[in-house]
Amino acid sequence: VRCQHYPPLRALQASAALRRASDEHRKEPLTSSSHQHFDSPPAGHQPEQEPQGPCPSYTGQGGQESEDYESEEQLQHRILTAALEFVPEHGWTAEAIAEGAKTLGLSVAAAGMFHSDGSELILHFVSECNTKLSELLEKEQKLVQLGEAEKKPIDEFLRHAVEARLRMLIPYIEKWPQALSVLLLPRNIPSSLNLLTSMIDDIWHYAGDQSTDFNWYTRRAVLTGIYNTTELVMMQDSSPDFEDTWRFLENRVADAMAMSNTASQVQSTGEAVVQGLMGAAVTVSN
Amino acid sequence: ALLSQPAGRLRARRGLAVRPEMHFGFQTVTEEERREKINQVFESVAKKYDVMNDSMTLGIHRVWKDILMHKMNPSPGTLLLDVAGGTGDIAFRFINYVRSVRERQLQKKLKHHQNLSWQEIFESYQNDKFNSLGDSQVVVCDINREMLKVGKQKAQHLGYSEGLSWVLGNAEELPFDNDKFDVYTIAFGIRNVTRIDLALQEAYRVLKPGGRFLCLEFSHVSNPLLSRLYDLYSFQVIPVLGEVIAGDWKSYQYLVESIRQFPPQEELKAMIEDVGFFKVDYVNLNFGIVAIHSGFKL
Repeated sequence: VRCQHYPPLRALQASAALRRASDEHRKEPLTSSSHQHFDSPPAGHQPEQEPQGPCPSYTGQGGQESEDYESEEQLQHRILTAALEFVPEHGWTAEAIAEGAKTLGLSVAAAGMFHSDGSELILHFVSECNTKLSELLEKEQKLVQLGEAEKKPIDEFLRHAVEARLRMLIPYIEKWPQALSVLLLPRNIPSSLNLLTSMIDDIWHYAGDQSTDFNWYTRRAVLTGIYNTTELVMMQDSSPDFEDTWRFLENRVADAMAMSNTASQVQSTGEAVVQGLMGAAVTVSN
Repeated sequence: ALLSQPAGRLRARRGLAVRPEMHFGFQTVTEEERREKINQVFESVAKKYDVMNDSMTLGIHRVWKDILMHKMNPSPGTLLLDVAGGTGDIAFRFINYVRSVRERQLQKKLKHHQNLSWQEIFESYQNDKFNSLGDSQVVVCDINREMLKVGKQKAQHLGYSEGLSWVLGNAEELPFDNDKFDVYTIAFGIRNVTRIDLALQEAYRVLKPGGRFLCLEFSHVSNPLLSRLYDLYSFQVIPVLGEVIAGDWKSYQYLVESIRQFPPQEELKAMIEDVGFFKVDYVNLNFGIVAIHSGFKL
């Protein structure tokens, strides 16, 4: 429902940046509470209150402005996405965010909305990479289901998923150590840990893991270890196209597979030994 | 008359038009009288303004202004409007900050150019040297001529020349075009504005989209013990200091009374949101003696 009423000129100018975001998503312009000094909007001006996702923890503004919340968050996302372009030059800093804001036509002061150490930028980037990975794995799963591709064995699948995810770091690889250190700040650990675990969970889900026992935990712990160590190796890798890293990854996944085989072997050996001892004890007692 | 006064005071606290009652400290005056009285106050304190600031706040006001600058974190190329900036404290800090950021930028650039010939390095020096502020500028706007005069003298004395402009203007009716500035600051000035809502609207008007509004002002102390000590200090010590150092008891009496009349943090935040700013937030300094409010024009 497009509102036919033209809000006063100042309101138009005022909500310029946000209106763009609104237009993209076919929402109504700013609600009346932001413009108390002008006439209350006419009856035709119905803000569409679709229930959106969880409200971000911004200060103050109440439920009536949940639309503007979405626009604010969307605007911040757009600024961060635009800022990624400037990361190779400026690093994960407020400067990169300021440059990003400039390309969107906003003042450089908009970078003040974010923390000066670039935490939000890095978390945004990691979240985007995880989303891209999920979409990639989803697509491949569809191809397998349609019979157009073969289902990969587990170790190859894990290798492929981890490699695809790590390749997304390549454009920013020079500044990535800085990003890792920021992600380890106590303030950021809950968010970064959350993103990491959900990514690993995604990979196992698409690998076809349906375990309901303790295996669920061991598998994720092992894959997290593989991913983290491979990431660190990649930081120091100077071989062409990171060949050394992928070889390292291959070895680690093979280790993990071998380890799980060994574990089951140990278990069956143990059972056999116990049975042997029991037999011997029975024989001796007779 | 007794009944109407509290309501009038309430509206006056919100900075909305109440004719004829407004507050001037704890007195009730008309709007025109208030403007005139405040004008006189600042005319008389202008020369001793900085000295009094140091003695009343024991020098802590410098820390407050430094914190404001760090919160702003301006990058080179920022255009700052400092309203009620009188003696230039915020403006000078801005210039220092931007200059040091710019130096670091240039150093980083040079580090990348390790393999240049001496000729190329010399040329890069030439290009960058005359741009030590990176095109940053600050416009100091004040309604009071005396304060501006003191500010200009200070600038000359301290050696600030480039990137600085001084404009006579009223915060309720700024002599600037729309969408001009990256950051708008008003440090210890909004308390003296007669119509706060108009000043906030003007701030919104002159800021670019994405621009930031920052307000540093005395605010409300909620801790009861501290509040009693603060009141004691304010009403017993400060006017005395005013008389002794500046020879002007009444102006400093006005100062402490106007602090009590100013809206507390949440109310000011609501006023800022009403005008259309987003992500409005405030930070208390020294338990609420001073607060920094920040908002973005999105």
